[in-house]
Amino acid sequence: MTTFKNIMANFKRFKFLMSQLILRDFKVKYKRSVLGILWSLLYPILMMAVMALVFSNMFRFQVEGINYLVYLMTGIIMFQYFSEATSVAMVSVVTNFSLINKVYIPKYIFPLGKCLFVGINFLLTLIPWFAIIILTQFGLGTYPASINFYYLLLPLIFLCLFLFTIGIGLFLACTSVFLRDIFYIYGIITTIWQYFTPIFYSIEIIPDKLQFLFQFNPLYQFLTATRSIVLYGNCPSALNLILCVVYAIIALVVGTIVFKKKQDKFIYYI
Amino acid sequence: MIKIENVSMKFNLGIEKNFSIKEAFISIFDRKRRPKKTDFWALKNISFDVKPGEVIGLIGSNGAGKSTLLKVVSGVMKPTKGKVTVNGVISPMIELGAGFDLELTARENIYLNGAILGYSKKFIDEKFNEIVEFSELKDFLDVPVKNFSSGMIAKLAFSIATVVEPEILIVDEILSVGDIKFQEKSKNKMMEMIKGGTTVLYVSHSLESIKELCDRVVWIENGTLVKIGSAKEICNEYYNKQMK
Repeated sequence: MTTFKNIMANFKRFKFLMSQLILRDFKVKYKRSVLGILWSLLYPILMMAVMALVFSNMFRFQVEGINYLVYLMTGIIMFQYFSEATSVAMVSVVTNFSLINKVYIPKYIFPLGKCLFVGINFLLTLIPWFAIIILTQFGLGTYPASINFYYLLLPLIFLCLFLFTIGIGLFLACTSVFLRDIFYIYGIITTIWQYFTPIFYSIEIIPDKLQFLFQFNPLYQFLTATRSIVLYGNCPSALNLILCVVYAIIALVVGTIVFKKKQDKFIYYI
Repeated sequence: MIKIENVSMKFNLGIEKNFSIKEAFISIFDRKRRPKKTDFWALKNISFDVKPGEVIGLIGSNGAGKSTLLKVVSGVMKPTKGKVTVNGVISPMIELGAGFDLELTARENIYLNGAILGYSKKFIDEKFNEIVEFSELKDFLDVPVKNFSSGMIAKLAFSIATVVEPEILIVDEILSVGDIKFQEKSKNKMMEMIKGGTTVLYVSHSLESIKELCDRVVWIENGTLVKIGSAKEICNEYYNKQMK
């Protein structure tokens, strides 16, 4: 109980610093760009357009019975959030070393701040995402997407994605202090991970015997839950939802423990 | 106010800072290339108390462990052994401007750097004018800091760091920055802070200013506490030993 109180007191004390760091990220990100924050809205649409052109026209990818544009865009924004947030969280401790070395700041602030910053961006991308969903009602693409009461489950799924990302981000930030190779290794891992996550293809094209392997991919769980609501109008299966929560908690707990255990040693290695 | 009990600090000089997989792999097969473990004790069994309102000077040659001690007290490093208890809010003035983002304007940096030093938003709002006034940079408030000269950056950083009335002040050398006029001003401001009744840990190589400001002096050499006592006595002894 006292530790919980300590954590909350700590949170309160550094809330302002956190908001300043996030604000800094926004300002620096959009400085000198003409469209500024509009890019957060435009970027996922353009990415979706390019991928839709490539995969549905050149490779003739389709997923039967549902709107492929929404299918693609859901995959893109959710994976993009995960990969971008974890990558910037990974370097956050190392790049802020000059600060860590001089002033006492709780170190988790840096990866957590980055996950929040990219998370706010993610919330912005939900605007064009929902706009596309509405447009499908008026004939964009082959089938309309579904709008239903299960949308109320989306915040839970996104929260799981967010917690999962923080967990991985903390773990990577900690690892990168001791092993700089992780920058390159993780680049490769995200590329592999991207292809093993059904972003532009459907799991149906995988041989039946191997499909169960996807159950172990947390990102597949988050994506499947979202897609069953938005594209099929179904409630995600109980197993699906439970796995979302379980993966999120496991990642968060492991990430936090590793980070907490090692954080006092950071200063010798940077 | 500050209680330092049996503090020891170990550094491992053998740690190759950018330890990579390649080297880890080689070291499995080649024992000679394994990073040698050479322990270096930057601080050995240091204990002393600082009472509220006391100004403590730290002296000793370069590399004696003065800055490490300051870092341990301010919480940047955790001691390998021993315990540091601090009652009160510490304002570290170890190095200035570390928290600046060069892309941001001076105005934005005041808030960012203030937050890093632990100020609240309300406090910065209140003191904003005072900071700007002191830094003499009113006309450049909305200019990105990357276009500032190093002197201007130092002025701004100094003004932000010294706007507080801290309970505990940690000073690594009196910083006089900027042009002659500002140097004089910043020195006076520091003196004012030190004499203003706060608890101060002050590192300096200028024995004159130590004698002038400090109540007690801690003499550290090779990580061990050599002597602690009245400023005049310790300073003289230190000077004689160094000049021998």
